[in-house]
Amino acid sequence: MKLEAWFGTLDLCEDGKVLASDLFSKNVRELALRSLSLREPGKGIPPAGFELRSAALACGFVESPEEYDFLLHEVTLEAAKLQVSGAITPDQRIILAVEALDDINETVNVLSERLSEWYGGYFPESGLSGEALALFVAKYGSRKNVDPENPLSAKAADSMGAELETLDEALIKGFATSVCSLYDRRKQIEAYIESSMENIAPNLSLLAGPMLGARLISIAGSLKKLAAFPSSTIQVIGANKALFKHLRSRAPSPKHGIIYSHPMINTAPWWQRGKISRAVAAKLALAARMDLYSGEKVPSLAEKLDAKVQQIRAMNPEPPQKKQGDGMKSKPKGKKKRRQ
Amino acid sequence: MPEISTLSEGIFEITRGKKQLATRNLDPGTTVYGEKLFSVEGSEYRTWDPRRSKLGAMVLKKFKIPLKRDSKVLYLGAASGTTVSHVSDIVSDGAVYAVEFSPRTMRDLIGLAARRRNVYPILADAGKPGTYAHLVEPVDVVFQDVAQPNQAEIAARNAARYLKSDGHLLLAIKARSIDTAANPKQVFRDEVKKLEQAFEPKFEILNARDLKPYHEDHLGVLAKLKE
Repeated sequence: MKLEAWFGTLDLCEDGKVLASDLFSKNVRELALRSLSLREPGKGIPPAGFELRSAALACGFVESPEEYDFLLHEVTLEAAKLQVSGAITPDQRIILAVEALDDINETVNVLSERLSEWYGGYFPESGLSGEALALFVAKYGSRKNVDPENPLSAKAADSMGAELETLDEALIKGFATSVCSLYDRRKQIEAYIESSMENIAPNLSLLAGPMLGARLISIAGSLKKLAAFPSSTIQVIGANKALFKHLRSRAPSPKHGIIYSHPMINTAPWWQRGKISRAVAAKLALAARMDLYSGEKVPSLAEKLDAKVQQIRAMNPEPPQKKQGDGMKSKPKGKKKRRQ
Repeated sequence: MPEISTLSEGIFEITRGKKQLATRNLDPGTTVYGEKLFSVEGSEYRTWDPRRSKLGAMVLKKFKIPLKRDSKVLYLGAASGTTVSHVSDIVSDGAVYAVEFSPRTMRDLIGLAARRRNVYPILADAGKPGTYAHLVEPVDVVFQDVAQPNQAEIAARNAARYLKSDGHLLLAIKARSIDTAANPKQVFRDEVKKLEQAFEPKFEILNARDLKPYHEDHLGVLAKLKE
């Protein structure tokens, strides 16, 4: 019987004695690569309970148990390093970008609010917020510097805001510049996600939009995992709290998770949303699988989804009638509109 | 000066004000996850946080830990190596085959293994024990902390291949990863029954205890192969 060990190919006779062996050289890198190639379950898996260590000693690959330990340690370490360095695939890069984007969004909101609070004391009439305010402050600083062509110049002239002193102006202007650069970084990451999604998941990108598609991959963990999900899971990804509440108690099931941000769903009237979510999720599951296994863009998928959604709209033009019980006796159950 | 007493081979209790679990540091001067180091009578000890390690919690729950200085351990679900580092301290002349599936946490584990000669990192799926059969020798203890719905089956498959006939299985069962909705107590009963009957080899349960208050909804189990 032949078997593969990390140090060589062994030929065993019935009672487990090593008859012959084909040993590898003691080069750590070669042994590590060899070890990785043996991961695929095939022929020559050592039988259960096989004493690798004594076999290595018996066939003369190593001279002592210490040498066996030392060499195996080096080989497993090297193999693990090789695997880790190969682990960042294109979908993993998208996931990292999505996570970075979420962090930037959170930070930029906090900082924008801080800026609006801070600058509001000096020019409360500006009516600006978010990126527009950051750009305005970074450009002008004090409202005295607003040039006459700017539509806000009149308001700036007779504002009730306090005077901005030089020191404070430098501080607040620098702060606003940082906020602006964060907004720029956000755009850069969004552009990156859009273009990578087009490459690795064109169908998902077409049906869900690149951002929603990237988020789905991010929550699933990889495109492969997303493709393995049933559409019912895709429908409620991101609605964990509502889903587990539903599973544990008698709460209604969630109709949609993060796919709620899909324009077909969030613009639909409430009584159609669950049905449309189901249709969208079904097609997203197909899209993810096409992206994983063929990678070719299939425009007909989007047309089919459109047709299905049209059909749902046509079939359910009116909100369903709430069931009328015996007057005041019972409240309608489970009909309450509830979002995740 | 802290006092030291032995709880089990390689596992100590340091008393300095309050009692703390500890192991003798195999890699003196280095901490792994921010734990405290103590020098007592010329040896360095690392404190062991039972809230971050299910094995640590099992020690405090009075499990008889079957680890010896020269034990060989197959550790499934090694993660970043918090508990692995303590196991590596305990089995200082043995071996820890640390199997982990996630490349992200493997990064940390590699850093640990590079500094500890008895830790062998293996990036593989513990559910497919054949994929590391060319590396792992028979072991005295299979420790499993994988938080998978089929973890009893994974334990059985690995034990079938790697556990010596007089070896022990230590595992932590996370109720929430087996069934999020069911009652944890019921999940524990079912899982223990599975270990006893459902797969080959069958196990004899020596001890099974809830790991409260150190871990919520976790059951620690010590078992050996049924004769």
